[in-house]
Amino acid sequence: MNAAALAIDNKPCAEMRGVSVAYPHGPRVLDALDWSLLPGQVVGLLGRNGAGKTTLLETLLGLRETDAGQVQLFGQGAANIDDAVRARIGYVPQHSALFESFSAAQLLAYFRSFYPRWNEAKVEGLMSRWDIPRNMPIRKLSGGQQQRLSIVRALAHDPDLLVLDEPVASLDPAGRRDFLRELVDQVLSRGTTVVFSTHILSDLQRVAFNVAFLNAGRIALQAPLDELLDEVRLLTGSSSELQALLNRLGVGALRRTPLDAGRERMLVRLPRDSQLPAGLQVDSVNLEDLFLELT
Amino acid sequence: MDATHFVSINTGSSEPIYRQLIEQVKRRVAAGQIRAGDEIPSVRELAQALAVHPMTISKAYSMLEAEGVLERRRGLSMVVAAQHRRAQPAASRIELLRPTLERAAQEARQLQLPRAEVLALMKTLLDQEDLKP
Repeated sequence: MNAAALAIDNKPCAEMRGVSVAYPHGPRVLDALDWSLLPGQVVGLLGRNGAGKTTLLETLLGLRETDAGQVQLFGQGAANIDDAVRARIGYVPQHSALFESFSAAQLLAYFRSFYPRWNEAKVEGLMSRWDIPRNMPIRKLSGGQQQRLSIVRALAHDPDLLVLDEPVASLDPAGRRDFLRELVDQVLSRGTTVVFSTHILSDLQRVAFNVAFLNAGRIALQAPLDELLDEVRLLTGSSSELQALLNRLGVGALRRTPLDAGRERMLVRLPRDSQLPAGLQVDSVNLEDLFLELT
Repeated sequence: MDATHFVSINTGSSEPIYRQLIEQVKRRVAAGQIRAGDEIPSVRELAQALAVHPMTISKAYSMLEAEGVLERRRGLSMVVAAQHRRAQPAASRIELLRPTLERAAQEARQLQLPRAEVLALMKTLLDQEDLKP
């Protein structure tokens, strides 16, 4: 898309190095995790329930203390970002604590005062198109309306980094499509970096150019989804034959599942134009298969 | 051309979206539904219509350009390339169906189905399609 703009500033918007986070007296949720988000990337974050997606996003935003490691946002330590960096970030939390007795209009007027870059035309457009009542107390809005309001609030100041934690959980399919179009528009017109978690894989497949799999406290794999669908295969055959193949191709298995009778199933990212022995069962995978195998 | 009806995509498939787009455009060109000089939706229009990441669309368009299916006109709009003035003969159109049928044939063998039954099913499906307006 905007290759020239990307080349000028290819420093990560957000970067995590060796980050560990543990709950009090609990196991580590994030375990020496490395992650970086480059300008203009749209990354879908995948993980099972309880894998720590919300913890990861909150840590990325400097909202959680870390036990080890560094988190940087636009070159500043995430726990101490200044107002200028704060103004470049939009966040839609999983459970937004919107001011319930405010009306939507009051809430937006309140937030507008914090942001030098506030796009009133965009806010008005979204409020009308997304049918959000302006003057009713927020507690009387439906779950979907509240979620849409939370998204409007996060987009209003034209953020450079947009972090969305399950942003569409209470939206119907039409509302989800409207939201995805808005995201696509952000990417098209502004090159916004977007990271979002969701369990709705069809949405993710549309707009997430990259997918990241969170498993056992680390980003197990992050890659363009197109490349994964083109290159990753499920291979089933005898363990020895499969191991010989991996050695020959010089790759490791993303996941191995032992079967009976000395056979094994392996998820492998194959180099382009790999020659595979005849008699091996080779299956393509879709995003759901990848989710099940890698998270 | 109306971006909403230009192509459709199937999420959940193991075929990446950019390849679904490529195959559909190729089929439409081969069938003569879109021809030399016809303008196709811009990256922006199609990304909006499908709610798909714009890089996915531009990747598909670039590959179609490299294969000589589309060409870039002055400015940024893409058109069907000059050599595609009419539908391809059936003999070459049917080649586009080969990968799909090869896959179907492989699955039929895995299911150990009698050949006559498979062919009969294919015939039924084709006849159903004929009934549609």
